[in-house]
Amino acid sequence: MAVFQAALINEIEKLYKKKKIMVAIIISLSVIIIGQLIIVGMRTGFGLRGVGSVEFPILVLSVVVNTILPLFTALVAIDCFSSEFSNNMMRVTLTRPVSRFKIFSAKVTTIVFFILFNLFVLFVFSLLAGFLFNANSATAIGLFKIVISYGVSLIPMIVLALGIILLTNIFKNGTSVFFVSILGFLILKAGAVIFSQYSSLFITSQLDWYNLWLASSFPLNTIVNQLLIMLGYAIMFFTAGYYLFDKKEY
Amino acid sequence: MKLKKKTVMLISFSLGALLFATTALADMVNKSGYEQLKDGLKVTAEKCSEELDSFTLDLSMEVKNNGETLITSNEVSKFDRSNNAQESFSSQESVYGNDYNSYNYSDDKMRIRWSEDQDTYYVTEFTNERDQSYYNNPFKEEGAEDIERIVDAVVGSLKDHVMVEENSDGGKELSGSLSEMQIPALINAFASFQLKQQFNGRQSNMPHLTQDIFVKEISGKSIINADGIMESMLGTALLSGKDKQGQVHELSFEILVKMSDINNTTVTMPDLTNENVVKEVERPGYGPEITNPEKFQGLFKNDILIEKDGQYVKIGERYINITHIDDSTISGRYYEEYRDDYEQYTEGALDFRFDASFERDGRQASFEYTTETGKTTSGNLYLDEYIGKLNFNINQDSRSMVYDYMFSKVFD
Repeated sequence: MAVFQAALINEIEKLYKKKKIMVAIIISLSVIIIGQLIIVGMRTGFGLRGVGSVEFPILVLSVVVNTILPLFTALVAIDCFSSEFSNNMMRVTLTRPVSRFKIFSAKVTTIVFFILFNLFVLFVFSLLAGFLFNANSATAIGLFKIVISYGVSLIPMIVLALGIILLTNIFKNGTSVFFVSILGFLILKAGAVIFSQYSSLFITSQLDWYNLWLASSFPLNTIVNQLLIMLGYAIMFFTAGYYLFDKKEY
Repeated sequence: MKLKKKTVMLISFSLGALLFATTALADMVNKSGYEQLKDGLKVTAEKCSEELDSFTLDLSMEVKNNGETLITSNEVSKFDRSNNAQESFSSQESVYGNDYNSYNYSDDKMRIRWSEDQDTYYVTEFTNERDQSYYNNPFKEEGAEDIERIVDAVVGSLKDHVMVEENSDGGKELSGSLSEMQIPALINAFASFQLKQQFNGRQSNMPHLTQDIFVKEISGKSIINADGIMESMLGTALLSGKDKQGQVHELSFEILVKMSDINNTTVTMPDLTNENVVKEVERPGYGPEITNPEKFQGLFKNDILIEKDGQYVKIGERYINITHIDDSTISGRYYEEYRDDYEQYTEGALDFRFDASFERDGRQASFEYTTETGKTTSGNLYLDEYIGKLNFNINQDSRSMVYDYMFSKVFD
């Protein structure tokens, strides 16, 4: 366990040094500011309320969960794997007395931490903006629901990250992984519209699954179903990704 | 050791695949609430158009502002598919006062309509028996599938909000509700904007919403019976907004559709003895036909005016003498007469005869005429039975006089 911890700290420090986090924070903030400006414009221009203080974070979540969050996840995942393959950092990492499984797990955990951190930043700032600029509609239950929504959004993001990690282990080049990820994302999104009856099987549709947790009558069946589907995806992606990572020669 | 690792990986991957496959399969087999809702609608539409002999549809709507009723309306329609007959009662009450009560009956041979304010039964008997169906299945129309796909896409992840509850009698209850947090912001904005247009302050007694408008809650409930027919459907929307004084208005919209008396509805023609009855004749397809066009025979006229010193002054009259009229043709003479003081306007005055055939509706006709200078121009006329006047247009050069195209009949 101590070895794993060391590997994890090593990975996190590498990520931290790369300034990607700063960029992620700045872009997340700009999304919140632009969103708030649109809402204020709509309110003064058309007299529509737009959103209340509690709904604003949800609105932000509904946007970022389909745009910048997957984008940054992809970037960080590529950074953790592909860039290391190309600049031979991986060899240095692998010469340490740590098993490949632990290194792989440490990298995955680092990405999970990054997503969590990004969600947390979005949560704090959107909540802040929501309370500063919107009509107060806050209730304890409303706040609780926002926390839940942001929290459960982590799960489909992890599945997505594992999928991208699998891709980074298939293609060596980081740029091609990035484009394949984006293309795949768009195809799955379009597919979910065309084959709407099968949309629950696509990982991209699960990104919105926080909606289920907001439902007035808790749809336990659907939530368990979706959770199992995501779990299935996660196990397959993780195993396949690790298999390729393990087999790779440097 | 190597082999063991591989086995573990294989087992792990298979486990993931199995988990995914079984859940996916269960997902496919179990129809979601949304799919069941769609099926309910489809089955109901199909049964109504092909299977059921008779049924009653009850549609009611209510709009409330802070609990006070603004509008209620109700329509009860009875359908008898075996006799191809239908009757409906509809009524509306509202605070801004265009209340009405009306009744309609129709079958292959006739149509009867009645409204409270006139208290007269208008009976239209069809000269040819018509074969018209009231029960078109909207899901079988062209393009229905595309629309369904678009609706599916728009509904998107909201699908999961439809809950299903099985009833003991084999039917089921579908319900769903969305609070402001769950309604997508775009839909909320669009609905709010529509609402703002609706409550724009032009109607008295209606609240004028100016700011902070939003959709608070939408909910629906539907009961499907054991045969798959949707027996009732209730939709509620709760919207909120403030008026200029900052007072909050909560508007609620409720729509309830109920289907009852399946195969047990009788449509009866109303008893018209001792009632005011006006008879109209209709040929299929072309709207009501004039019962006796001869009533338009005779002289029609209107005034020719000019504007002089800021006043209208009558300088003469235009006449149309309908000498012959029947179901298909009309002929007559058009001429103008000027008062003695305004003889100077006589120049260019028209005087011609015309012959025209009615178009299919038996009311409208176009004709050509030749002026004294030998120029051929066209015109058209229309028998306006509703106001008892003749609408007569000629394409003439514009002159300084004020003309009216409506001609009134001259009575001695």
